Amino acid sequence: MAADPSELLKRYEPKMAKTVDLDRQMVTLRYSPCGKLLLAGDFDGMVRRWDANGEELQNLAPLAGHGGWVTALTFHGDGHRVFTSDSWGQLRAWPYAEAAPQPAWAVAQAHDGWIRAIACSPDGQNVATCGSDKQIRVWSADDGGKRHEFAAGEDVYSLAFHPSGALASGDLKGVVKHWDAAVGKCEREFDARGMYLYDRLQDVGGVRALAFDKAGTTLVCAGSQPKSGAFVQGSPLVLWFDWQSGNLKHTLKLGGENDGFVYDMSLHQDGFLMAVSSGQPGSGKLFFHSPDAEQPFFAATTMANCHALAVHPGGYRLAVSATNSSSNGNGRQLNGNKEYPGNFSPLYFWDLPQSS
Amino acid sequence: MAHRSPCKPWRLCKPWEHQLSRRHWLGGVAGGALAMAGLRGPALAAELEKTQKQVLFVWLDGGISQLESWDPKPGTQFGGPFRAIATSVPDIRVSELLPRTARQMHHLALVRSLCTQDNAHSSGVARIQRGDPKNRGVTYPFFGSAVVRLLGPGDSGLPPYMWVKPGNGGFLPGDAGFLGPKYGALALGDGKPPENLPRPESLTAADDDLRNSLRERANRRYAARRRAEASQANDQVFDMAAQLKKRMDLFDASTFPARDVERYGTHELGRHLLMARRMLEAGVRFVKVGSYGWDTHGDNFNGHLSLVPKFDQAFAAIIEDLAERAMLDRVLVIAMSEFGRTPRINGHVGRDHWPEAWSLAMAGSGLKRGIAVGATNDKGTFVATEEYDIGHMFHTWFHALGIDSAAIEYDNQGQPLPVANEACHLVKEVLA
Repeated sequence: MAADPSELLKRYEPKMAKTVDLDRQMVTLRYSPCGKLLLAGDFDGMVRRWDANGEELQNLAPLAGHGGWVTALTFHGDGHRVFTSDSWGQLRAWPYAEAAPQPAWAVAQAHDGWIRAIACSPDGQNVATCGSDKQIRVWSADDGGKRHEFAAGEDVYSLAFHPSGALASGDLKGVVKHWDAAVGKCEREFDARGMYLYDRLQDVGGVRALAFDKAGTTLVCAGSQPKSGAFVQGSPLVLWFDWQSGNLKHTLKLGGENDGFVYDMSLHQDGFLMAVSSGQPGSGKLFFHSPDAEQPFFAATTMANCHALAVHPGGYRLAVSATNSSSNGNGRQLNGNKEYPGNFSPLYFWDLPQSS
Repeated sequence: MAHRSPCKPWRLCKPWEHQLSRRHWLGGVAGGALAMAGLRGPALAAELEKTQKQVLFVWLDGGISQLESWDPKPGTQFGGPFRAIATSVPDIRVSELLPRTARQMHHLALVRSLCTQDNAHSSGVARIQRGDPKNRGVTYPFFGSAVVRLLGPGDSGLPPYMWVKPGNGGFLPGDAGFLGPKYGALALGDGKPPENLPRPESLTAADDDLRNSLRERANRRYAARRRAEASQANDQVFDMAAQLKKRMDLFDASTFPARDVERYGTHELGRHLLMARRMLEAGVRFVKVGSYGWDTHGDNFNGHLSLVPKFDQAFAAIIEDLAERAMLDRVLVIAMSEFGRTPRINGHVGRDHWPEAWSLAMAGSGLKRGIAVGATNDKGTFVATEEYDIGHMFHTWFHALGIDSAAIEYDNQGQPLPVANEACHLVKEVLA
């Protein structure tokens, strides 16, 4: 890969294609493995579905039945199933492409409360979940039967499977653990404690996202370097670890203290990071970063607050779920109908150059 | 202070000279100092001073979210990610972030229908703690100062208004407003005694007495030529120091039972509420405990997931302990902020300031137990029942302490002032 940022930009710079305003706020966003469907988990316990094949998104029947927020959704590699979770502790599996899908299985209390992340094992046999109850659990992908559970010791924010089947988790206090998922043994830890701060009475931060490169040589951890609680000021922070040695290879601290957290990310097949961040209202970014550079070679700051990133499997399109601009304000702010409005998520679609 | 005869014939008299005469006629000045506000209804005031009533005031500075605590709306547009849980009182549910307090709900009284006027911290904090009285050109006292003035200092021999807080300590005469510095707050930074309190070993007790005697003579001479406020605060600080020196045992955290330290939590709110329990047990009239960092404009839900359980742990422990010690009959407990938080979730996944519809929790003296008064609408955006401003709460709190807010007034150097906003009234539903 060319290290010259201008070359990288020329080759990979995305162009915004369109914006679709939804009616409510979304938490998570993913394309199906076939690329035909786009799914989003929202603040209202629903998994939204769209046919994304044509020029315009076509609404499909949502996947209903979750409570609280739909916090994560992960597709099985078989191209038929999706796993979804919520903040009330429920885990479900769905045949996502059917006209009116019903759950293939559901575990009502997979966790006590907020399920933070779902990861599907490389062999497709298992689904791992983690949550604010400080537990990591491994389930049968076929029927939801619990296979393993282990106490992680802390609120766990993120999970990722290594191609070998090892499991990595990232927690609130910036500790990344390498697990033997079959026996629940922590093999070693990686230090991402820069992503945590104890401010006054509050624990701030957490490893918000994890990803392995395709070869499994690098583990990428993302969150924030927090400066304060309450308002929560901090700068997006990304760490690249060599998986074999455990050494920290590269650090990216992006922007200023208003720029917040990296919320979601994906590794491009050509090795660079695509990620979205959100901080103080209005401080959202989509950025591309090569780990042999100091700063991103691309950054878009026109989206107010970016929370989820979906990469089309064909590699030619990205979708970003954000929050509308002017989303904040103290006190009573009514709309023209004298109603109290909620915020919503615009979906921004970016086209990537075809050669990428 | 030298007394001047009013209206000497060779010069124009000043208005204050007549006020002095009026004050003596009214007889409303406790302690006799010119600068302090008195009370109208002194016989009533004398009765109030006999009471053993106390107050624990837990202040969560910045604005705890009512939706993540006392008034959850799970599964609604603005409800957020958390569930609601049952409590020890049927039909009262609170956020899942308050499991221990939920088990103490039979001691508590919630008000879910607060609607106040100010959505700013800088003005809102004082406005709430002063009861948002009508503007009469005077600075009203904070609730703690008012209670000490109305009920008296009690017989603990300790400063009657103590504030256990993070950060720095010191004497805060400003809390007392027009009442005068005598009713100010003594802030204990991190629950520790003021610096330099113990007599240095190099100084004998006899020498210390001599020094104090000289100081007092100098103060009297200074005060004789000035308005009382000029020396009051200084005198008050030395008096407090003398009181505290006799009770240094109060500040020895090593004497707390290990079980209590664990129950309350080793975080600062836990340690400070445990210290507050000790202060109440020692008879301190008004104990305020402050906690900072509740202004969760960003990452509100992870923030409350971290903050509320710490409050839950310590608050449930002190409620349980006060109940067990039969202290809830005489201690009024209040836990609140300066406002709540917006139902709308902003782009930083936070909630902003919301005085329009929020909640507080109470327990103890004069209140019903196991009750939730007032309600918000299904989405938690606005109050659906009668709206209560902070003035309503002041009337209610005074009443719960045995103070008839309609029958007693302040006398601010001849200016009669209601003790609570006269446009507000008692919240009778919450009173026992």
